[in-house]
Amino acid sequence: MGTIVEVSNLTNRFGAQVIHDGLELSIMRGEILGIVGGSGTGKSVLLRSMLGLHRPDAGTITVLDRDIRDRTAGLERHWGVLFQNGALLSALTVMQNVELPILLHSSMDPVTRRELAELKVRMTGLHADAYDKYPAELSGGMRKRAALARALALDPKILFLDEPTAGLDPIAATEFDELVAYLHASLDLTIVMITHDLDTLFATCERVAVLLDGKAVAGTLSEVGKSSHPWIQQYFNGPRGRRAKLRENSDG
Amino acid sequence: MSPYLDYRRESDTLVISLRDDWTFGNVRMLHDALQEIDGGDTPQVVFQCGGLDTLDLSGAWVLFRRSQEFESQGRRTQFLHFKAAHFKFLKSITELRGDTSRAEGAGLSPPNLTTRIAGLLDSVGRSTVARVDDIGRVTRSLLDGVTHPSRLTVAETIRQIEQSGAKAVPIVVLITFLMGLVLAYQGANQLAQFGAQVFVADLVTVAMLREMGVLLAGIMVAGRSGSAFAAAIGVMKLNEEIDALRIMGLDPNRILVAPRVIALLVSLPLLTVLGMLAGIAGGFLLATTMLDISAAQYLERTAGAAKVNDFVVGIVKAPFFALLIAGVATLRGMQVSASADQLGRLTTTAVVQGIFLIILADAVFTIVFSSLGV
Repeated sequence: MGTIVEVSNLTNRFGAQVIHDGLELSIMRGEILGIVGGSGTGKSVLLRSMLGLHRPDAGTITVLDRDIRDRTAGLERHWGVLFQNGALLSALTVMQNVELPILLHSSMDPVTRRELAELKVRMTGLHADAYDKYPAELSGGMRKRAALARALALDPKILFLDEPTAGLDPIAATEFDELVAYLHASLDLTIVMITHDLDTLFATCERVAVLLDGKAVAGTLSEVGKSSHPWIQQYFNGPRGRRAKLRENSDG
Repeated sequence: MSPYLDYRRESDTLVISLRDDWTFGNVRMLHDALQEIDGGDTPQVVFQCGGLDTLDLSGAWVLFRRSQEFESQGRRTQFLHFKAAHFKFLKSITELRGDTSRAEGAGLSPPNLTTRIAGLLDSVGRSTVARVDDIGRVTRSLLDGVTHPSRLTVAETIRQIEQSGAKAVPIVVLITFLMGLVLAYQGANQLAQFGAQVFVADLVTVAMLREMGVLLAGIMVAGRSGSAFAAAIGVMKLNEEIDALRIMGLDPNRILVAPRVIALLVSLPLLTVLGMLAGIAGGFLLATTMLDISAAQYLERTAGAAKVNDFVVGIVKAPFFALLIAGVATLRGMQVSASADQLGRLTTTAVVQGIFLIILADAVFTIVFSSLGV
């Protein structure tokens, strides 16, 4: 297995407020890891730090054994990111959005480029009539799928998802969970997702990292659930947590 | 020989042995290597996949596509010795392949000339109809805002007067001053041929009062505030702030559009007066330093040339220009609905149309005033 992302001694503060205080986190190759935590515990800052979009105050992060601060490491070739609202480029159609990273990172002929883009779009289950639409013409769920297709465009080794099911109705959210599980099974992907959705967490994630007091507590769902920390107890054994767990058990 | 494959013919079978990394980064080489294979007339093709190190979806696609080409040539294809981890990529492709056929999209290449011309004609027609609608809407929001002012309107109006009026003073004064200098210099050269160089004061004064003061101030304001209005309102539209105002029972026309229009109605005439004075000062500076005209002489000519009706002809245009600039800019801002791209286009449109409209209006005013004889 081995680790694919290694976060060590990560420290982030905004003014006097300490967000991360020596946070340690290892993400294993091939797993689906869910990152959870209350508001303001620095989930997004952690993600942005792992992507090199935020410069941490201290600590090192390596992705695929390469230091995140090394601009020449070419990491952008090996990861895909699904931002919370998709972040599709509004001036381009769905297909153009997916083709763009391929165009930027390879010298293949236009026909192959288009075929590969179409393959990725089809993988995410978008209908063919959405391919040439602009992001503004798509529904929220379709936009997420299109953005996911773009994240997959370069056959990444690691996929970051920021709140993949936020803003989706329960049916669309369930479909999206299944899609993520399907992609994980059919492509050699490591998936890191920030999520608030307990159903998603129980249905897809193998391990979970809970952000608490500037640190991360990571483990399988049952391991973490046994912790006596009040926030974890409230989170996993609150009414929503119990319901999601029940649903998962009755499904399995 | 390619580093990615070997092939040999065995009686009626073409055996292709794959090796190394069949991944996204190598797609071009993989494609070329597969195309170079000369299959002869063997009816059967076997892909030996045991030697593959890594495979991803892109690599699998290139492989799959070539196998389809062989099939379409009437050969049977077979994949042998796939590792389970690799086979799933091929399986995903075959699962996904199938019914979806679609018309060719635009790709990443620009649209062709015919569609562009068609689009252009289409937009001319649409915007003609839209313009009629626009005039009604702007008028309506203005009347609403002026007849039903609220506390929010007053505060916002004052803020806008500061932004679009007070903060524009330095740049308006500077450019009109420079324009006065230029006008005096160019005018003096021509007038000197008739020995009438001293009339340069008349030239600068009349030009600044009647035309240049208001036009330069108008163009500056159209550039500064026109873009600011359109962009600010446009971003609020994109953030659904306008919708949020509506559901709170606040009319965006009243608290966003009207204050901006009123602010320009106040600030553009004031800027115009400052512009006129700065222009005349520019002429004064040039005439007294570079030409043989004394300060007293210049001021005397200026006082003689400056008539009340020249000033009125200039200043009366200012409120009309203000209405045009603010009307177009706020309207374009309100039309933003979809994307950041559209926001940029509409902001540009707001400025270009603002400047165009005030110059057009200026031409109309000139015709009217000359026929009235003022």
